[in-house]
Amino acid sequence: MNAPVNISVPPPRSVADRLSSTGTGNALELRGVTRMFGALAALTDVTLTVKPGERRGVLGSNGAGKTTLFNCVTGDFLATSGTIRLFGEDVTNFPPHERVRRGLRRTYQISLLFGGLSVIDNIYLACRGVSRARFSLLRPRRDDALVQSTLELTEAVHLHDVRDTLVAELSYGQQRQLEIALALAGAPRLILFDEPAAGLSPTERSELIEILINLPRHIGFIIIEHDMDVALRVAESVSMMHNGRIFKEGLPSEIESDPEVQELYLGAGHE
Amino acid sequence: MTSLVQRNPGWTIVLALLGAVLLWLIVAPWPAGMEDMFGRKRIFLNALFNGITLGALYFLVASGFTLIFGLMKNVNMAHGSLYLFGGYIGYEFAEATGMWLLAFVFVFVFVGLLGIILQFVVFRRMEGEDLRQTLVTIGLSVVLADLMLWAWGGQSYQILTPDWLSGPVTIPLVSGTNRAGEAVYLTYPAVRIAILLASIALGVLMWLALNRTRIGMLIRAGVDDRDMLAASGVRVQYVFILVFAFGAGLAGAAGIVGGTFQSIAPGEDVRFLLASLVVVIVGGMGSILGAALGALLIGLAEQFGSVYMPTYSVVLTFMIMAFVLAFRPQGLLGRG
Amino acid sequence: MAVGDQTRGARPATAASAVGSASETAGNWLVNIPASYWIVGLVLVFMPAIASGFVLYQILGWAFILGMIALSLMFLAGYGGMVSLAQMSVAALAGYMVAILGTSGVHAISLGWPWWLYVPVAIIIAAIFGTLTGALAVRTEGIYTIMITLAIAAAFFYFTRQNYAIFNGYSGFASIFPPELFGVDWRRPIPFYYLTLFCAAGSYLAVLYVARSPFGLALQGVRDNPRRMAALGFNVVAHRIAAYTFASVIAAIAGILLVWQNAQISPGTAGIPAVIDILVIAIVGGIKRPIGPFIGALIYVVLRTYSPDVLEGFGLSGERFKTLIGLGFLAVVFWSPDGILGLWNRYRDRLRGKTDPLLGEKERP
Repeated sequence: MNAPVNISVPPPRSVADRLSSTGTGNALELRGVTRMFGALAALTDVTLTVKPGERRGVLGSNGAGKTTLFNCVTGDFLATSGTIRLFGEDVTNFPPHERVRRGLRRTYQISLLFGGLSVIDNIYLACRGVSRARFSLLRPRRDDALVQSTLELTEAVHLHDVRDTLVAELSYGQQRQLEIALALAGAPRLILFDEPAAGLSPTERSELIEILINLPRHIGFIIIEHDMDVALRVAESVSMMHNGRIFKEGLPSEIESDPEVQELYLGAGHE
Repeated sequence: MTSLVQRNPGWTIVLALLGAVLLWLIVAPWPAGMEDMFGRKRIFLNALFNGITLGALYFLVASGFTLIFGLMKNVNMAHGSLYLFGGYIGYEFAEATGMWLLAFVFVFVFVGLLGIILQFVVFRRMEGEDLRQTLVTIGLSVVLADLMLWAWGGQSYQILTPDWLSGPVTIPLVSGTNRAGEAVYLTYPAVRIAILLASIALGVLMWLALNRTRIGMLIRAGVDDRDMLAASGVRVQYVFILVFAFGAGLAGAAGIVGGTFQSIAPGEDVRFLLASLVVVIVGGMGSILGAALGALLIGLAEQFGSVYMPTYSVVLTFMIMAFVLAFRPQGLLGRG
Repeated sequence: MAVGDQTRGARPATAASAVGSASETAGNWLVNIPASYWIVGLVLVFMPAIASGFVLYQILGWAFILGMIALSLMFLAGYGGMVSLAQMSVAALAGYMVAILGTSGVHAISLGWPWWLYVPVAIIIAAIFGTLTGALAVRTEGIYTIMITLAIAAAFFYFTRQNYAIFNGYSGFASIFPPELFGVDWRRPIPFYYLTLFCAAGSYLAVLYVARSPFGLALQGVRDNPRRMAALGFNVVAHRIAAYTFASVIAAIAGILLVWQNAQISPGTAGIPAVIDILVIAIVGGIKRPIGPFIGALIYVVLRTYSPDVLEGFGLSGERFKTLIGLGFLAVVFWSPDGILGLWNRYRDRLRGKTDPLLGEKERP
């Protein structure tokens, strides 16, 4: 990665119309969401509200339920009880691909990429997945709009030089870049970043912070992070989780200096 | 169990009603009009008992299959060949020595050893490659089927029931009334009742072994998460060998049962492999109770189908399988 | 998923992606075809000049048909990660429909429709059957697919054997002939050879094309990482079922050719031994590239036709060819799970000298 990345991928016209007509509802609304695994309560009565364009951090120690929370929001797990509303729509029982088509995206702690395909094929798939004609048997023409936006996105994330390389042959940092690119494909409205800074060098980490801060304002995101530096700089508000519950919410500065938080997470890497 | 009932009150009521109706059908004498509609009660009772005992046979074959599948994730397509081979060997042994009971022991050990050899020579080398193991077992079944055809020819063999088990036994269920108006009780071949009781006993023993012993706990843990079992230091290989040998031996012993009930002939290996597949699909993988339930369902479906809908009995079995796949793909008692 | 491990890697021969291909002009792809393909193509086209009627009809024609059915299996297994044993049944259903809807020796059942009606209807019916099979099979883990499709194939066999109203039970149908079109009797060896060659080449090219279309790309994505595909907005289940539909069309066409070649069809056409044979053909040939099933089919047909003579030459009964094929299959699975194609690729790599990944220059083996 070289210069700071400026991702100004505007949503396609049709989606922009949809965006403006969504109204003033919340981007994400969880009410009383519980997720049980047998007798284990991974999430208990979680209530969370994220406004459109808001940048929220979700922090907590290992096993606090952060990833389970993400999995319930994306639909990988169905909530045992409670409701989930995405941009005003009740998606509690929707399968993952239905939620994605409504503007939800996610990155994974461990990159989930298609190792046997090239970088540009990965991004093309991501663009394809949220478009119509997913089943098309025809090969795209050169001037196909989808191909164009794929190439634009590839350039925007500075992976243009390696676009034909197999993903399995990329460096770790490049794979994490691609992971983020996949989340930016189509017209995302809310992105869930699951520990995007994991394993990055300090330089890469500061570049990641740049990317996240410079995301277009209409795209909101929720970020899970262990690295307090990244989380507190990028998030506008923070929710703290412990034992499957959200026990504190507030501004980053408030959370930083909260005695309860400090007691629970003494030495969590914040100076 | 109670939570299951709580979560599905509708289904529980339906099942309870069906159970009550079934009970009445079996125990109570049928009124005259009913016999005109549904045929004689004796035929119904015969089909019922045939279905249950056939289900017992399917259970014997399928329980080994489901354990092997559940633990080693290996669809052992040669399972049917083990059944057939056990039947042939059992026939030879019974002919040579005239001892039916001892044949079980002999065949169990013999085919179990064959299972151990298979495990060493074939499956250990392909640890973790499910598809490849499946393909190998398919190849083996093709070769074994042809070799058995060569050795024993195309005719059917019947293993004779020992004298002390032949003849009918009277079951205290009313199957009709004779001309004097007295109740007539159902008579049924003793050997089939004996096999049924033995299968139930064996099923209970297996369930106890799985759920109440330490080895059983290891096996169940392996079914849930094979890697964790290996990571916890247990000699996973020994557990595998044990389960495979047991499953194979059981299939072989079931061959004697099949040879006594029906007959042993080329093609029976395919038939019992398919039966095992369907039982496991319906009942759920890795579950003894599921195998019992599935076997019972399939056995009953086959028998009732062949009596009341002879042209389409196979459709009934298939509909059950399709129904389960559509609504509960992991099987009735399988883990989601 | 371990099934995916074996079937992963059915990639297009070149590294060009679906997107990259968008920059090719229409004429470019002709240049990219290797010379070996041109040679094989020419040989096939001019085969009737050198081969006897028996070879054209019984060896090559049959190999093309079996190859197409195995290709349908390869498409699902190689690109989709799903090993379906029901493709032979799909083909047989199409063949049965030709007998039932067209003309056959069983006048009580056959409807006598014209060919331009029964051919498309047979394909559609068989494709629907294949799609329903897929719908039942795709919501479970990989290994279950084999079990479920095998059970479906068995159910089909038993049903056709027991049903007399439609399928004429045990005897099936006989005297089924292709229509006489353009004054040609398509049952003569040379016309039939070209018909099967045309269909086989057509399905081969169709698979190649679809594999690199967005649909094919998405299918491979579903194979490699279904969770990720769902997170990108793809309906994984729908994609898999659609793959079954496409594969079933190919199998259906092959089934129609099969019933014309044999002039008869019976439950045994799709019996369990036949179903297993298709699997053997696909695996032995190699399921990573579409040419594999045809290679496997050729080997199978040659073995099947000539091995009884070879066996008797060794003093064994000619009937033991099943053992021979089974042992051959075992040998392939043990030592070359990629099939003959895999052997060939490794041999070719050794000959050419593999490129050292670090230095980028060729090293001698």
